[in-house]
Amino acid sequence: MTAAPATPSGAFSAPDAVTPETDDPVFSVRNLWKVFGPKADRVPGDTSLTGLSATEVRERTGCTAAVRDVSFDVARGEVFVVMGLSGSGKSTLVRCLTRLIEPTAGTLHIDGEDVLAMDRSRLRELRRTRAAMVFQHFGLLPHRTVVDNVAYGLEIQGVGRAERRARAAEMIEKVGLAGLGERRPGQLSGGQQQRVGLARALAVDPEVLLFDEPFSALDPLIRRDMQEEVIRLHREEGRTMVFITHDLAEALRIGDRIALMRDGEIVQLGTPEEIVAAPADDYVRDFVRDVPREQVISVRRAMRPALAGEADTGVALAPGTVVAEAVEAVARSGGHVRVVEDGRTLGVVDHARLLAVVAGLDPDAAGPAPDAADSHTTGGEVAAV
Amino acid sequence: MTTATPAPSAPTPEPGKPESQHKTGKAGKVGRQKETGKPGEPGKTASTAPGPGPDREGPPGRPGALRRLAARTPGRPAARGLLVLALLALVAVPAAASAWGSGSWPDALTYDVRTPLDELDAWLVDNRESHWLFLYFLLHISNNAVSAVDGVLALLQGLGWTGVTAAATVLAWLAGGADLGRRALRTAATALGTFAVIGLLDLWAPAMETLALMVVAVAAAALIGATLGLAAGLSDRCERLLRPVFDTMQVMPAFAYLLPFVLLFGIGTPSALIATVIYAAPPMARLTSLGLRGADPAALEASASLGANAWQRLITARLPLARRQMLLGLNQTIMMCLSMVVLASVIGAGGLGDEVFTALSRVDVGQALGPGIAIVLIAIWLDRTTAAAGARLDDASAPASRRRAWSVRAAAAAFVAAASAAGSAALGREWPEQWTVSISGPVNTAVGWITENLGSGIPLVGGTATWSENFARWVLNPLRDGLQGAPWWLLLLAAAALALLTGTWRTALTAVAALAAIGAMGLWPTSLNTLSQVLAALVVTLLLGVAIGVLAARVSWVDRAIRPVLDVMQTMPQFIYLIPVVALFNVGRTAAIIAAVVYALPAVVRITAQGIRETDPGALEAARSMGASTGQQLRHVQLPLARPALLLAVNQGVVLVLAIVVIGGLVGGGALGYGVVYGLQKSELGIGLTAGAAIVCLGVLLDRITQPAASRDRR
Repeated sequence: MTAAPATPSGAFSAPDAVTPETDDPVFSVRNLWKVFGPKADRVPGDTSLTGLSATEVRERTGCTAAVRDVSFDVARGEVFVVMGLSGSGKSTLVRCLTRLIEPTAGTLHIDGEDVLAMDRSRLRELRRTRAAMVFQHFGLLPHRTVVDNVAYGLEIQGVGRAERRARAAEMIEKVGLAGLGERRPGQLSGGQQQRVGLARALAVDPEVLLFDEPFSALDPLIRRDMQEEVIRLHREEGRTMVFITHDLAEALRIGDRIALMRDGEIVQLGTPEEIVAAPADDYVRDFVRDVPREQVISVRRAMRPALAGEADTGVALAPGTVVAEAVEAVARSGGHVRVVEDGRTLGVVDHARLLAVVAGLDPDAAGPAPDAADSHTTGGEVAAV
Repeated sequence: MTTATPAPSAPTPEPGKPESQHKTGKAGKVGRQKETGKPGEPGKTASTAPGPGPDREGPPGRPGALRRLAARTPGRPAARGLLVLALLALVAVPAAASAWGSGSWPDALTYDVRTPLDELDAWLVDNRESHWLFLYFLLHISNNAVSAVDGVLALLQGLGWTGVTAAATVLAWLAGGADLGRRALRTAATALGTFAVIGLLDLWAPAMETLALMVVAVAAAALIGATLGLAAGLSDRCERLLRPVFDTMQVMPAFAYLLPFVLLFGIGTPSALIATVIYAAPPMARLTSLGLRGADPAALEASASLGANAWQRLITARLPLARRQMLLGLNQTIMMCLSMVVLASVIGAGGLGDEVFTALSRVDVGQALGPGIAIVLIAIWLDRTTAAAGARLDDASAPASRRRAWSVRAAAAAFVAAASAAGSAALGREWPEQWTVSISGPVNTAVGWITENLGSGIPLVGGTATWSENFARWVLNPLRDGLQGAPWWLLLLAAAALALLTGTWRTALTAVAALAAIGAMGLWPTSLNTLSQVLAALVVTLLLGVAIGVLAARVSWVDRAIRPVLDVMQTMPQFIYLIPVVALFNVGRTAAIIAAVVYALPAVVRITAQGIRETDPGALEAARSMGASTGQQLRHVQLPLARPALLLAVNQGVVLVLAIVVIGGLVGGGALGYGVVYGLQKSELGIGLTAGAAIVCLGVLLDRITQPAASRDRR
């Protein structure tokens, strides 16, 4: 996983109080609604309806609220993952970003420019050059060769044939399909087809890449390859990405931040660590139950204040180190390990703190911690012990 | 000769795709199958709902029975509909019967439509040269039609026989992939063989006439069809507007298209051309629209997400994605054009069809067979060529570079020009006379032998003439007399009840209106005669077709054996079927019925086999795992699950059978078809047109009472 340059590192905030977290967001979404059905407009404004659950809204109005009052910012250069089960509204949400689906209410800005106010030509401009999308079912044109598929976006922009084919060839190489340019999509495997889809999106050199469950249709092994491909691309180019998935492992692996959706609403928004370590409600907790916590949670969250004498002894680890790695260090040293940032000791972890993380316990409640200075009380868990 | 070899590579549909889509002519009509998709449970009520018979006369005790019926079938709309119908009948029938009598269609309800039509015809004949409608509109159409056909004919004659043969062969080769692969060479050989046989049979001149008419008709029909299809594919309003029109056009027998144009343009090329274009355009339009609407939504969305505007999306994504369907539409349009061009010889199209027509009217099978063979070969050649082009689209193989494609095309054109010039210089433009053979003598001898030896007097078996006679006496006559003897209101009620079983009140109303229109035109007995032939042919078709279909679905070698036969049969124009049956059964109603059975059989077999093959394999496996015998598997799983397909087979069967039964008027089938023929030959357009209108009404009626309900619900 890459270090996210502009990722906010503030404490987790409640989902309905998402505040602008960066100065220079790529996408800035506020109170966005998408309602399907007759007279959909009235739903977002009607306070007697907005508080209801999705089923109740449908019973009351016959409308389906696919996206409900969603607000978030996508910071420049980050991988922003929207994750949720099918029907949670995540695919609708990503289509709203370029108005492939017209939002019902709310505001939506890209680089400070109001997307909802754009006229048709401006909107086309947005789709052509600023945001490109990768689709679950690839959406390749079967009658064109791979090169022509990759060059398709450039062709729409009116780029000349020789130039666009040269650019396309470059992209094909970049996604690891060198030599397959003259094939037809039908002759490629699913993974290769999605690489073509990825190359097509990259070819227009967009500011943002939008992924709509791009790897869901692929086999697990291929999926892993493709995820690494995306991570590699992001590391090389630092391009902003909005990534839709229903696969938690995928979200945790590639996301700098994750917005977890349920019934059209964001139930929790935070870094993978925040979501795993501090689930906002039972739904999220259920969701992350099987996640190997030691792979996600960092020592910053597991540490306790150093006791006298501890601050100067023991191996030093960076605060971002995941618990799994700290376990190794603790096992080797036999004692505690320091968490050091900029030469300053923030705290220490020992076997009790690390085991508490692995066991899913609140380290401060479980371990013999002298005091609880830096603890997060997550409730519920304690009672379960 | 390679031409007759049925090509096994020819469209072998993958499972899950409606295979009848691949085939042509008739498949134009069968093509509807795809769009109806899977009819849900159209006639679930049909088995439990009461037949129309016992409910009607209202003897004492009826109300009790009705109540019991109502209690037994509470939630079934069709049964409820029938109940309402029965109650209506209880009131209306006695009233109608007492007012107008109970026998054949009452005179009081008959209106004379023939006289005004004759007057209209007379007026049109008088004013054809002077009225503005003709001067500024219709005459332009007919003049352009004539000059276009003449132009193409002059071009074909200018190319000479070597040039035409070379051009057809090279075109087929290009369509087949322009390489030395099996497909390209086989399609090329089919074309070469076709034209060689045409020359050998001394039919070069009429074949060129037919071909010239075909070229113009196909071009116009494809253009019009594609335009309408584009409109229907892109605009929902157009689709809603055009769809019912196409639906109705598809059930109308080709024969009914001929006369209105004779009324407007007189007998000759313009009438034939315009009737052909209008008959053949719908499949192109339908499939274009289907292709545009069926395009992969992901690809279209990808196109939109990259910022394509509507025009770019149409050109780069929608149309290319619809290409396969459009080519299929073109194939069907071509086959329907051929079918109609041949049939239009009745209204002066000339060419090969005319040769068949005149020979058949003299019952000279030998003379008819030559042009018949030529027509069949042309059909196979055209079908194989377009099918090869379609198959090439599916090929995932890397495309040849554009430059190579163009140089191949240029070389091909040069080759055609060279062949034309060299052939004209060395061998003349006409096919050399010494290279022809006459088959009519030997064929007539053979037919004579057949009539003598197989016609009658074979011990135990009888003979074809005996069968034909017995079929007419024991099946057709009682059926016809029964229908004609039945009270008119009984038939109306039966039509309503049948339509209600699978359809809605609107369907029932349409069916009744169509039948009543027949009566009002004064063609009640004649139409019932036609109806009796249709019903007899339908029963035979369904018995044979379902049996063969079941066999083909369950026994793979049967399927493999009949598939090429069906392929060829479905390409042949309607008219052709009359030739062999006349040879075997002489003229008469039986001949027409047998031709109809043979014509409708392939579609019924295909739909049945496909329906059975596509039944849920899980259900069949479950039945097998419980030890069901073959018969039990069929009875309990396959046939019930294939019910939508079977209903569709009935619907297609009835439409196709009607088309031939009326053409049977040409070979002594009598009834409505004869009305059309008589009207044409005696210039009594009033008679012909009313007969044509009655055929259309009969077509609508039969389609409505057999239509699987889902095709309506879907809209």
